[in-house]
Amino acid sequence: MTEPNEENKEKDVKNNSEEPITVHVDELKDAVEKEIADAGGEDIKIGVYVCQCGGNISDVVRTDLVAKELEKFPNVVVSRDFIFMCSDSGQELIKKDIQEKGINRVVVGSCSPFLHETTFRKAVSSGGLNPYLYTHVGIREQDSWVHADHPKEATELAVHLMEAGVAKARLLEPLKPTEIKAKKHALVIGGGIAGLQAALSIAKADLKVTIVEKSHFLGGRVAQWDTVFPTDEDARAVLNRVIEEVLANPNITIHTGTELIAAKGYIGEFNIRLRQQPRGVSEDFDGLDEAIKVCPVEVPDEFNFGLSKRKAIYRPYDGCVPSGAVIDWEHCTKCGECLKVGKKGSINLDETPHEFDITVGAVVVATGFDPYEPFKGEFGYGEIPEVITLPQLERILSKDGPTKGKLEVNGHPVHNIAMIHCVGSRQKEGVHKPQPDGKVNDYCSRVCCTATLSAAKQIHEHFPDTNIFDLYQDIRTYGRGHEDYYINASKNGVTFLRYFAEEIPEVTKSPEGEKNPVMVKVKDHLTWGYEVEVPVDLVVLAVGMMPTPIQDLIGMLKVSQGNDRFLLEVHPKLRPVETAIAGIVLAGTAQGPMTIREASYAGQAAASKVIAMLITGQVELEPFVAKIDPERCEGSGECVKYCPQEEAIRLETFTEDGRTFQRAVVSPANCNGCGVCVSVCPNRAINIQGWTLDQFDAMVEALAMEVSVLEDA
Amino acid sequence: MTNKRLHVDALVVGGGIAGMQTSLDLGDQGYQVALVEKTASIGGNMVQLSKVFPTLDCASCITTPKMSSVHHHDNIKLLTSSEVQKVTPHGDGFIAEVLLKPTYVNNDTCTGCQKCEEACPVDILDEYDYGFNARRAAYIPFPTAIPYTAVIDMDHCIFCGQCIKACPVPDCIDFNMQPEVIEIETSAIVISTGFKVTPYDAKEEYGAGKFRNVIDGLMMERLLAPTGPYGHVLRPSDGKLPDSIAYVQCAGSRDLTLGVPYCSRVCCMYAIKQAMLLAGALPMADITIYYMDIRTFGKQYEQFYQNAKAMGIEFVKAKVARITEVENQDLNVRVELIDENSQVVERHHDLVVLSVGMLPNYDPQAVFSIDIAEDKFVETPYYHNSPAATTRPGIFAAGTAAGPMDIVDTIVTAGSAAADVAAYIQSHNGHKAETAVETQTTVAERSVDHD
Amino acid sequence: MKTDKEKVKSKILILATLSGGYLGADSAGQGNKEYAPNVYIFSVMTAAIFPPEFYIRALEKSVDAIIVMYSGSDCPYKGAAEHTAKMISQAYEMMKERGMDQRRLRLSAICTVCVDPFLEEVAQANELLDEIGPIERPVPAVTEAESVTA
Repeated sequence: MTEPNEENKEKDVKNNSEEPITVHVDELKDAVEKEIADAGGEDIKIGVYVCQCGGNISDVVRTDLVAKELEKFPNVVVSRDFIFMCSDSGQELIKKDIQEKGINRVVVGSCSPFLHETTFRKAVSSGGLNPYLYTHVGIREQDSWVHADHPKEATELAVHLMEAGVAKARLLEPLKPTEIKAKKHALVIGGGIAGLQAALSIAKADLKVTIVEKSHFLGGRVAQWDTVFPTDEDARAVLNRVIEEVLANPNITIHTGTELIAAKGYIGEFNIRLRQQPRGVSEDFDGLDEAIKVCPVEVPDEFNFGLSKRKAIYRPYDGCVPSGAVIDWEHCTKCGECLKVGKKGSINLDETPHEFDITVGAVVVATGFDPYEPFKGEFGYGEIPEVITLPQLERILSKDGPTKGKLEVNGHPVHNIAMIHCVGSRQKEGVHKPQPDGKVNDYCSRVCCTATLSAAKQIHEHFPDTNIFDLYQDIRTYGRGHEDYYINASKNGVTFLRYFAEEIPEVTKSPEGEKNPVMVKVKDHLTWGYEVEVPVDLVVLAVGMMPTPIQDLIGMLKVSQGNDRFLLEVHPKLRPVETAIAGIVLAGTAQGPMTIREASYAGQAAASKVIAMLITGQVELEPFVAKIDPERCEGSGECVKYCPQEEAIRLETFTEDGRTFQRAVVSPANCNGCGVCVSVCPNRAINIQGWTLDQFDAMVEALAMEVSVLEDA
Repeated sequence: MTNKRLHVDALVVGGGIAGMQTSLDLGDQGYQVALVEKTASIGGNMVQLSKVFPTLDCASCITTPKMSSVHHHDNIKLLTSSEVQKVTPHGDGFIAEVLLKPTYVNNDTCTGCQKCEEACPVDILDEYDYGFNARRAAYIPFPTAIPYTAVIDMDHCIFCGQCIKACPVPDCIDFNMQPEVIEIETSAIVISTGFKVTPYDAKEEYGAGKFRNVIDGLMMERLLAPTGPYGHVLRPSDGKLPDSIAYVQCAGSRDLTLGVPYCSRVCCMYAIKQAMLLAGALPMADITIYYMDIRTFGKQYEQFYQNAKAMGIEFVKAKVARITEVENQDLNVRVELIDENSQVVERHHDLVVLSVGMLPNYDPQAVFSIDIAEDKFVETPYYHNSPAATTRPGIFAAGTAAGPMDIVDTIVTAGSAAADVAAYIQSHNGHKAETAVETQTTVAERSVDHD
Repeated sequence: MKTDKEKVKSKILILATLSGGYLGADSAGQGNKEYAPNVYIFSVMTAAIFPPEFYIRALEKSVDAIIVMYSGSDCPYKGAAEHTAKMISQAYEMMKERGMDQRRLRLSAICTVCVDPFLEEVAQANELLDEIGPIERPVPAVTEAESVTA
């Protein structure tokens, strides 16, 4: 085979039966030359690299043949295949070819662009070339991994896709990222442990932080727990350490009772509108006990998961932050009874919500979780008062809980407890009742096993006469120090019974007159699958986690959810706390079930990313925004009419050579590259940089050619 | 005679995925980082893996670009074949004495052409492939090594001089290269020294080390890896394609007799992952996983487990009591079936994989004066509030140095450690990240360059 | 086993957005889900850039069916999804005028983890092409009077 060069290019690529691959590109030739001329007549030299991905691609696609084939195409100066293009030596290949062979466009065929487009852009850039003179072609997820049964066709497909990549590369232009000033200020949504940790770490790097918390108090779920594993610490102690630091940090501003109502902007500058509910009660109010007494409204206390009632003027617990009470506006009847007690003027029932705007450079979403709420009748929940959830048990065990720490349910003491794992987790379609969205919770909630055994340990310590029956599928005490709870439970005489997800244990009310009010029936697989009946005084459902419902927020921020409804990271290993929206990161259980320690880790990891984004006060944005071709623009105004963004494109009046005319002008920082203007322009005068219509036309044309490889390929 | 000094903001000890991610996160925040790695290449355990759960991305595809980013990062100074020998307090920070071990090849001039490797007449078992393969005494550690340069293994070198003759670069190979010590002045330290697996022959009754067809999970990773020794999964004794493969879970974890009472967190998932990959590579083979509890607790992990069940992989809740070798070097596995009232049965397999657990790779007590916990991993006393902090202010831990964890969790802990380091630096010497450019000039004071 | 020279292979072009269809295809790839190898997937940042003529041109030049895989209501660009749908319905009008089977062009919302819907779309397009065959080229030109401006 002849080396392709300027003179014999055309000859080389003609049909030659001795070659393993045959290509007809004659018809492309003219078009290509026109394209080259259009691209400014620059001497375009393309380097093509086909990644073997250590066999992931080359076991199916003959990367050697693909590289050899691509060599024949106009402008392709070098074409190689290599074991790992993403490795240092692979990147070195590109750099060397830029420097030694003078290539000025690079096409890499490898895995999905989501994995390594950035990697190769960087390599191209460190080789001295504009990073946007690069085209990424996916031939792994889109080819070798899905065509293992058709290696020949897969190879042809790779040639086609690569040729389309080359066609695009010919028309690439050097681009510059949009540089914008970044606010050295982050917004943390959610005042639970993950949000607090994130805020603290960001603030310590000397950036400003605003925390918004939807409820009127900081602390999230941790405030509701009693003792936390595996340190057996008081949950409030863990929480208060963070809160104290947060309160003491001058970089942090906190807004409780506050929600996002609108968000726009981009990394570096998000404009956020917040709405704060009034507290209704001033902090120095001295008549709270009295006011609570006189308030006639009683509602279930969500802090105790409905185990007790509270009034419409309340605070969740002594020592809460902020320490003052609030009015529950949803339930307050404004009867005015509370106004009659304590210091005059401390309560104002006519306060209204207050809206205000802030501008931040980055956003941390730390909206947390809700415990799974069993359906009425699921394991007897909601029908048998002796069936409660693990979070409710936590409240019962808590010194400031509804029973002041006494193990009492429905007014009677508890001696025998059944704890059922995986309620609302590890569910199976067809076995479990789906949630309103039609999906069952098929995931593991990670913390409930250890949390259940930790509660068992607390019960044994404080109420040693209690018998515990533990109904499980697998005990997942995975974390550091977690296994000790399992070992201890066995030592302390917890009786373990193993059930299968398809054979859900049955919980029924015992007949009148029985000593124990509830009967649990389970097919125990530790004993040949015998059906075992366990009469108990209390059933505790180890409920899983579901993300706090934040549909409004998801809509405002445009972040994505996974199949499990938790917020989705870009990639679990490459970018585990980042979302697909630049400048928005995730922390804590909004992303998936995790323990307090893990939520702290996650909050700090999110902070790390935010610090890296904002610390220099400047952010570079991808240049993929609309660009006007002044030669073609005739000022029709269609783009301005259809543009869905605010202030992204406008018509301006120009005067040139005494002629006055209108032409569209783009504001790059406001343009998100949605592309609507491109398709409505009657003159093809607008393109999204890096994604032009001419490029797509050329790519589509590249598919027209015939590619065939011999059978032995 | 330590007179060379490198000034940085953070010293990261260990160049596996945790150390690399910590370095990148700190470097991206504008801090100057020195990353010290004991072996000749960064990458750690992760580069040896085949694919990673639950996405089944190839491990190299995740690791190699991170390695490359570390190598090319303006704010990261990489020191391979180096070990921290001593740490002394210095103001609010530390001075670390780092030994640069001779590789007998000049890293600055070596081009990684492999000519020395071709010329070297010595063949020894390759630890990268767990002895399934051979390497030379002059060699590049593995195909994606960083730095991509040769090293000479002096323990096995016969001083024949073939490599020197073959090397096209003048004076690149130098048998007289001497160890050097440099000082690194730093504000904070991150321990990311990683894990090693429990020795596969620790449980004598499983016969590993004695029976060739009893291997461990990491060996299976190499057999499954695209860059692996055979390109196929073959059993070690006779190169036969195995028909019936058994996994023994908790082989070295949750086992008081070994002094390892804890769960190693990753073994369930890696066994399931390997089983799925094996089901693809050997469609006719039966695969059985003997387990105590299946702990697929991470994001998308339970779904991964259910998929494996649907693929026909057999999961048996059982304790494996003993493995004996029978005809054809096949294996007889004596199991107690927990789900059937602990009755004992014997099952026949032709390859057994022990799902070995994690042990700490390094004891930092002597050099770094930080405590380790009962489980021998680095103690992190501020368990919930500052999870990366160790018992000594200014020293933090990332990744499996602080207990078993998977790659996803490791990467998150690395970000967390980076945030802690940044906060520590800010509060202790007021060193502002914005001054990165200026601190870089202080880095230029260094006179040793082992890129 | 030679692929018949006579039987022209039909080609399906998928224009897949980076926030939707392309990730769906990635998920299919990660799951090693086999599908027919006549599918050419191009990533697009947004499908709203394509005027109706683009689709017509592509069908005339090289491909026999086009599936635009966007993220539908999850589209990160406000208004872009609706606009894409509008452009496609204009393209349908133009196809009608040219006597082209409108089923050759489809708009489908594919989410980032939509493996099954992705595979379903591919399978359906292939069933359709088995039934109606590839486009015969060159496609007769449409006269000036018949063409419609966007």
